[in-house]
Amino acid sequence: MSKPKVAFFDFTSCEGCQLNKLNFENDLLDMLKLVDIVEFREAMDDTADEYDIAFIEGSISSPTCVERIHDIRRRTKILVALGQCAVSGGINAMKNDQPSDWVREEVYGDDKYLFPSLPAMPVRAVVKVDYEVRGCPMSAPEYLHVLKSLVLGRKPEIFDHAVCVECKLKENECVLDKGMFCLGPVTRAGCDALCPSFGQYCTGCRGPVSNINKNGTIEMLKAHGFSVTEAMKRMKLFNTNDMEKSISWGNR
Amino acid sequence: MHLKNPLTLQNKGYVFFDSETMKTFISFLMNQAELIAAHKKGESSYVFRAAENVDEVILDYPRTIQPLKKFFLPPRETLLNFNLEENDFDVPDMETKKRIFFGVHSYELQAIHILDYNFKRGNPESNYLKKREESLFIGISYTPDEYHFGKSVGLEIEKTEGMCLYIEPMEAGYYMFVVDDNGLKLLTEFSSETVALKTETIKPQPKEFQKKIKYHYNRLPQVFDKVYDSSVWKKVSEKCVGCGTCNLLCPTCYCFDVRDEIELDTINGKRERFWDGCMLNTFAEAAGGENFRDKLHNRTRHRLFRKFKYITEHSGELSCVGCGRCTSFCPANISIIDIINNLIEEVSLNS
Ligand code: SF4
Ligand code: SF4
Ligand code: SF4
Ligand code: SF4
Repeated sequence: MSKPKVAFFDFTSCEGCQLNKLNFENDLLDMLKLVDIVEFREAMDDTADEYDIAFIEGSISSPTCVERIHDIRRRTKILVALGQCAVSGGINAMKNDQPSDWVREEVYGDDKYLFPSLPAMPVRAVVKVDYEVRGCPMSAPEYLHVLKSLVLGRKPEIFDHAVCVECKLKENECVLDKGMFCLGPVTRAGCDALCPSFGQYCTGCRGPVSNINKNGTIEMLKAHGFSVTEAMKRMKLFNTNDMEKSISWGNR
Repeated sequence: MHLKNPLTLQNKGYVFFDSETMKTFISFLMNQAELIAAHKKGESSYVFRAAENVDEVILDYPRTIQPLKKFFLPPRETLLNFNLEENDFDVPDMETKKRIFFGVHSYELQAIHILDYNFKRGNPESNYLKKREESLFIGISYTPDEYHFGKSVGLEIEKTEGMCLYIEPMEAGYYMFVVDDNGLKLLTEFSSETVALKTETIKPQPKEFQKKIKYHYNRLPQVFDKVYDSSVWKKVSEKCVGCGTCNLLCPTCYCFDVRDEIELDTINGKRERFWDGCMLNTFAEAAGGENFRDKLHNRTRHRLFRKFKYITEHSGELSCVGCGRCTSFCPANISIIDIINNLIEEVSLNS
């Protein structure tokens, strides 16, 4: 079996997800035995024309991004969105509910019309995405699961239940019992309840479960002492596009 | 349908332990077997775990996070290890060792009794039944908090069925009631002489439940005959966020999912099962993506019907033991007692 050709690309992001991958010290060498990495700007600069799997980090936020992602989609068999920017627009999407002109003036000042800009979109708003690895930065266990599954030709199994499930499996003390707030009840599992396992609340960095009961979530946060505005702000931190979905961002 | 009558304190006599003797007794038990007891976790939570130090064992606690089921149906359990290259697998060894579960509440025992029933029925669940062997239970009374409602489901605090000893704390120490021969044997071995059991009647301080179901538990199956189309389910689902906490921590919920995970060598892997629950999004999803309970109100209804009707029709016992976990740990403050009382109200209005 020849090793699949794998490439990594970054779009609008902090590149934290790519760095996160390089942090897998112990697993990195084993991973390299499985795949041929042909493009990875963070670590090397070879380029190849066709890929078996392209991992995309970052959101789509400019016309250049749109062109590049189309080009990559044409050249890859499987496309995986890596990290919350690529999956939902992530933190970048916070600008989407501000006036675009104001945002650009804040960033570029007088040069604002030199840089064509779009709302920060998930990759799936532009091209077909086969699999998604959520999290900000992307969750290592889920990334490894997807990579191994694809190498073996299996369909990755991505959870669609709450972080609370993983928290309860580990019998963590719930941070709600310490008077904190927590988005774990409506955030997708897959990080092994990383933050609550260290006594911190979940900020929802992996995005909401599908079918989220949005009003119920607001009620829940109100019961924990937030106003509706604050509750929405908390829910939108990583997930503006999911919470303010007035146009389709490519969800089923 | 007639619900079985729960037994209450059927002691054969008791001895008295002061606090020091109790500690020595716990140390003695720790030498006899693995001793599982409640321990503090975090700021204000409790968990069952193996005791390492007598002083860390907690006797007075409202409820643990995970119920006792975690020892017989672990939250994550490797079912088999496989090797794709050799196309082979092996089942991990499961040695049973003697375990004493110390200081458990009556609802916990009743929940084990219900799990036994479900796992023995049909295809016996061998992993569970194997782990269940060689378990002794020493019960203790508890002070109901705002979430317990044992009595409303027919479970007195002093129900001792399944226990070998039962502890009733009092001011200067503990009454140790002998419930069965195993209990008597433990006490005899501990004191290394014949134990003189007292039999004078004692009256422990009566303990009141703060929460009550409006109807006697005998009437609940009839209520559940009439509430399938109740408006209560939709009301509850406005608040419920579907996190599944109420399933996972329920001592009588036993559903699990199975997943194969391969190592990075893509050769070795394991098949693991982990707790699942009917409140979760994908629980009722079938091949092809069809989800036959995709709405939260359908899931809440299913959860309660599993506690008060579906299994009860076979077992003659309610599958809710009134531990209050689903309510006290619900992030949306949904109370199972309120749901049931609202259903009862609707039924009595409409009849
Ligand atoms: S800490 Fe957060 S994720 Fe964990 S159980 Fe509590 S609410 Fe759920
Ligand atoms: S617990 Fe929440 S914030 Fe933390 S990694 Fe998981 S999804 Fe992200
Ligand atoms: S614990 Fe509460 S919010 Fe979570 S699924 Fe159960 S009832 Fe709904
Ligand atoms: S339904 Fe709730 S109160 Fe009843 S046994 Fe389960 S967790 Fe305890």
